[in-house]
Amino acid sequence: MAPPAHSSRSPSPSQPSGKGEVSDLKSQLRQLAGSRAPGVDDSKRDLFKKVISYMTIGIDVSSLFGEMVMCSATSDVVLKKMCYLYVGNYAKVNPDLALLTINFLQRDCKDEDPMIRGLALRSLCSLRVPILVEYLVGPLASGLKDSNSYVRMVAVIGVLKLYHISSVTCMDADFPAILKHLMLNDRDTQVVANCLSTLQEIWTAEASNSGEASRERDALLSKPLIYYLLNRIKEFSEWAQCLILELVAKYVPSDTNEIFDIMNLLEDRLQHANGAVVLATIKVFLQLTLSMTDVHQQVYERIKAPLLTLVSSGSPEQSYAVLGHLHLLVMRAPMLFSSDYKHFYCQYNEPFYVKKLKLEMLTAVANESNTYEIVTELCEYAANVDIPIARESIRAVGKIALQQYDVNAIVDRLLQFLEMEKDYVTAETLVLVKDLLRKYPQWSHDCIAVVGNISSKNVQEPKAKAALIWMLGEYSQDMQDAPYILESLAENWDDEHSPEVRLHLLTALMKCFFKRSPETRKALGIALAAGVADFHQDVHDRALFYYRLLRYNISIAERVVNPPKQAVSVFADPQSSEIKDRIFDEFNSLSVLYQKPSYMFTDKEHRGPFEFSDELGNLSTEANVSAQKVEADDKDLLLSISEKGDSGFPANGSAYNAPSYDSSKSLSASSTSSDLVILETGVLHQASPSLAIDDLLGLGLSTTPAPAPAPPLSLNPKAVLDPGTFQQKWRQLPISLSLELPVSPQGVAALTTPQALIMHMQGNSIHCIATGGQSPNFKFFFFAQKSEELSKFLVECIINTSSSKAQLKIKADDQNSTQAFSVLFESALSKFGML
Amino acid sequence: MLQCIFLLSDSGEVMLEKQLTGHRVDRSICSWYWDYAISQGDQLAPVIASPTHYLFQVVREGVTFLACTQVEMPPLMGIEFLCRVADVLTDYLGGLNEDLIKDNFVIVYEILDEMIDNGFPLITEPNILREMIAPPNIVSKVLSVVTGNSSNVSETLPGAAASCVPWRTSDRKYTKNEVYVDLVEEMDAVTNREGILIKCQIYGEVQVNSHLSGLPDLTLTFVNPNILDDVRFHPCVRFRPWESHQILSFIPPDGQFKLMSYRVKKLKSTPIYVKPQLTSDSGICRLSVLVGVRNDPGKTIDSVTVQFQLPPCVVSADLTSNCGTFNILTNKSCTWSIGRIPKDKAPSLSGTLVLENGLEHLHVFPTFQVGFRIMGIALSGLQIDKLDLKNLPNRPYKGFRALTRAGQFEVRS
Repeated sequence: MAPPAHSSRSPSPSQPSGKGEVSDLKSQLRQLAGSRAPGVDDSKRDLFKKVISYMTIGIDVSSLFGEMVMCSATSDVVLKKMCYLYVGNYAKVNPDLALLTINFLQRDCKDEDPMIRGLALRSLCSLRVPILVEYLVGPLASGLKDSNSYVRMVAVIGVLKLYHISSVTCMDADFPAILKHLMLNDRDTQVVANCLSTLQEIWTAEASNSGEASRERDALLSKPLIYYLLNRIKEFSEWAQCLILELVAKYVPSDTNEIFDIMNLLEDRLQHANGAVVLATIKVFLQLTLSMTDVHQQVYERIKAPLLTLVSSGSPEQSYAVLGHLHLLVMRAPMLFSSDYKHFYCQYNEPFYVKKLKLEMLTAVANESNTYEIVTELCEYAANVDIPIARESIRAVGKIALQQYDVNAIVDRLLQFLEMEKDYVTAETLVLVKDLLRKYPQWSHDCIAVVGNISSKNVQEPKAKAALIWMLGEYSQDMQDAPYILESLAENWDDEHSPEVRLHLLTALMKCFFKRSPETRKALGIALAAGVADFHQDVHDRALFYYRLLRYNISIAERVVNPPKQAVSVFADPQSSEIKDRIFDEFNSLSVLYQKPSYMFTDKEHRGPFEFSDELGNLSTEANVSAQKVEADDKDLLLSISEKGDSGFPANGSAYNAPSYDSSKSLSASSTSSDLVILETGVLHQASPSLAIDDLLGLGLSTTPAPAPAPPLSLNPKAVLDPGTFQQKWRQLPISLSLELPVSPQGVAALTTPQALIMHMQGNSIHCIATGGQSPNFKFFFFAQKSEELSKFLVECIINTSSSKAQLKIKADDQNSTQAFSVLFESALSKFGML
Repeated sequence: MLQCIFLLSDSGEVMLEKQLTGHRVDRSICSWYWDYAISQGDQLAPVIASPTHYLFQVVREGVTFLACTQVEMPPLMGIEFLCRVADVLTDYLGGLNEDLIKDNFVIVYEILDEMIDNGFPLITEPNILREMIAPPNIVSKVLSVVTGNSSNVSETLPGAAASCVPWRTSDRKYTKNEVYVDLVEEMDAVTNREGILIKCQIYGEVQVNSHLSGLPDLTLTFVNPNILDDVRFHPCVRFRPWESHQILSFIPPDGQFKLMSYRVKKLKSTPIYVKPQLTSDSGICRLSVLVGVRNDPGKTIDSVTVQFQLPPCVVSADLTSNCGTFNILTNKSCTWSIGRIPKDKAPSLSGTLVLENGLEHLHVFPTFQVGFRIMGIALSGLQIDKLDLKNLPNRPYKGFRALTRAGQFEVRS
């Protein structure tokens, strides 16, 4: 488990608390506010710079809001910019004060300098304070009609910002229609591009509740508009070109002539210096020709050179993204790149992630004609100083061996690896030889001769050890020493930490026993005894099962444990072809890099931030995480102990960092790092609340929470409430009690990790559903439930560490018991040292 | 689209935070990222899925550029944009490091403000940005002392925002018109363990530095454009003339820019050879490296270096060279700087490596990375024919140069 995200690296300890400095700044700003002395702008500039640098390092300077606004009456552009930046950052938390800024921003929107008009309008729209939207409409409307394209460009994006604050206001002002007009008539291409992206977003969002909006959205894909944009595409900025190309990729041409026209028009985009434009163009080409097999093949030929250049000329990060896409293409057309394999040779200086993808490419393009060269190259990496790449190279050789029919030369190479006497090389090779033997049993003699010479003492990695033991069991009739090696392993049962190895040892001894029973009897006895006493459930069960099976009937046992096997013809592909097609449809998107269709990762990500109301702010649900983890763990376990299943091999085949639900580390990190965290309150709570929370937070605390306090009011320690219901309730219920409490200095100190407080409240049967904010403002949402009833209490608790105050808002189903609950809540807080 | 950009120092401290949309991204994502980055070490990929956001990260000179998004988007767009931000900042600040960013964070904010709005990239062309936000150069610093006006925002809007050529303003005026064209080539080559050249190609760029008045129209032709394998152009290059006659026709942006990049594949040989030899027996390994000119390009080859990393199993090394200087660091990385290859003798490096106890033979071999530089020639053989300029009031000065250096030139042993 990772340590909580608030590690020593967080900048807070090195920073001044800022209190003294901030009040200094405040008085200095006051002095300057009314001054008209010469040079006052310079002193202001220094002060503003200081304020913003504090803001940047995370000190709260929101208390200076009033003074900053007072000082903002200036003609100096830099001062204005700094002021806009400041205002934009704090307006959302100080809506009342933001009203003060409206005046000067509106004035600046009418400045004669277009730069200032634009900047002011941008800042005005970036305030994002819902109560101020009425002040936005006027400046936006005149901004859209401004004579200067810079202002219009800003205004168009401003409309989108307005839409996100208040869609109704935006629609009422009829802005979309104005944008549509601008999009079709404006001279400036950046204005057109901004209109396009804004309209796309607005119509897509509106489409679900308005038929007209969905028609408008579809109209964006109409032939006249697409042609209008395509004909001017060279005038657009490179990023706007990406936007247009993305739109074109969704367009369905009416006939093949149209397809060729579009491709001719866009062909030179493949030569663009910006890789994003090139990839977007390639997507258009691939999408347009999907149904035309011949042309589709020609497209592959055409896009090959630009892609290879992108790989070899860009920064490593760019190479990575391009290689991800190349890999996708290669899987669909392996022949295409089979003569260009040298482009995927790894260079010594390249970062790991590029080398790894290149190895996958080499594996994918290998065929009869180039296997020799590729394997020779891979073998050179195996002897390289870079150990992770050496491992990956050996795996790559193994994969090639498994996909080729002529494995003759490769087997020799693999066996040479075993003679290199490097423990990691030996380990990787053993795993591969095992897989190879499962597919090509005819090679057993050659392999066994070499494998037999390996001392099991030199093999430490569980996977490799398991592979060696499997071979010892499977080919015990051919290996002279097999029973004795297995026996010495069985004797050292307690030293073997990996359950996977112990499971394999049991099975191997059984197989050996059937073939050479006199020599193995003793070892098997030791292993079964140790296995039955093993603390690991699976090992215990398997040992017991074997034991009973042997007692029942030895020949039946042999038929169960060691039946005649058929060679594996094809190892299972972890990805279905349906999913691959889906990823291909999402060419030029993140799903290619994650090797997952985007619905598999973006959906659940989205639910949090976009559905929740402003009141709870920017939330993200973690609800699926634990379930996913359990599933992943299960799968891992199945894979690691299955020895006959065909799916074992590709378990570590993927080079990509898929969204990280498979590791417990990210799990703990997730719950501490996200902006606002919903603690898992569903299923887990019912099972064992404290443990679930422990696990999620990764605090490693094992103390059981104190029992809930006795009457007058007792709370249900296992209360359950899902975030959605919480929100609904929070909206419906009136505030039954609101109070402000002073917070003690110890309380402030303890809040460096809000989790501690959450744990503590949990111990008092008050559950946290969401937390957020950052120093000095922490926000918590708690809930609790009466022990015998369904009636619930909801609490919003805002703790400001700089003013040492806590504000509580309590809402309750049962208003009468609010007072009792608040006493409980306060006493819980004070037990924590808060009050 | 991108929701937020953070700039982190090499100790993980947040130096700058730029929120781009209404969905604020909390800073805590940075500490998550930092812990994750440390746990991944050098295996950290540029695109990461965190529990709440998808992250793009690009590290330049110890500064991490981190961008967050929650929606599906083209990955290359995020990466390209971050690379562009890094380039523009390097250009503006005259380098890139923690102090430069902290000293100039107001300018960095201003630049980001113009480069991206609401998560969508806008103006990334350095020439145009320069006209909107003046760089903090010495001149303006001196000026600010003299005049007391240190505003680094130009008072006018750039003309290009309204010009029909988006990368150029029409009202540039120079008393002395000059244009320089540089061919800069990098040779990537791999020699395998048997000494066979298995890959040798050139990546080249045509770099132009133009100081020309008005809206000049330039045409650049090559003697042998057919040797180019794949080309990529600056947006200013017109595609049709290239397609039909391999002529580069363009209106240049002002100042330094990359007009074109190209690749020349399947070269037959390298200008110099490096022959390493390792033989090991009973715990001692003899190493010798020979360097020499293979194909004399007719120009001086200088800045020749050979670098390699000794495997961890080498306990000590005793290596001497007959030419240049040889250094070995405590992390066992070795640098042999030869400089210019002398005419009378072949440079050689030789000596013994002692292997760790119990190891008879060396099984892990170093890769030798070779550096060199040749002024005055493009090794691909590409030659500029002529450069024509139209729309200019008086005859400009034209300058041409060529340079080839080693890119990823490695010799395995």
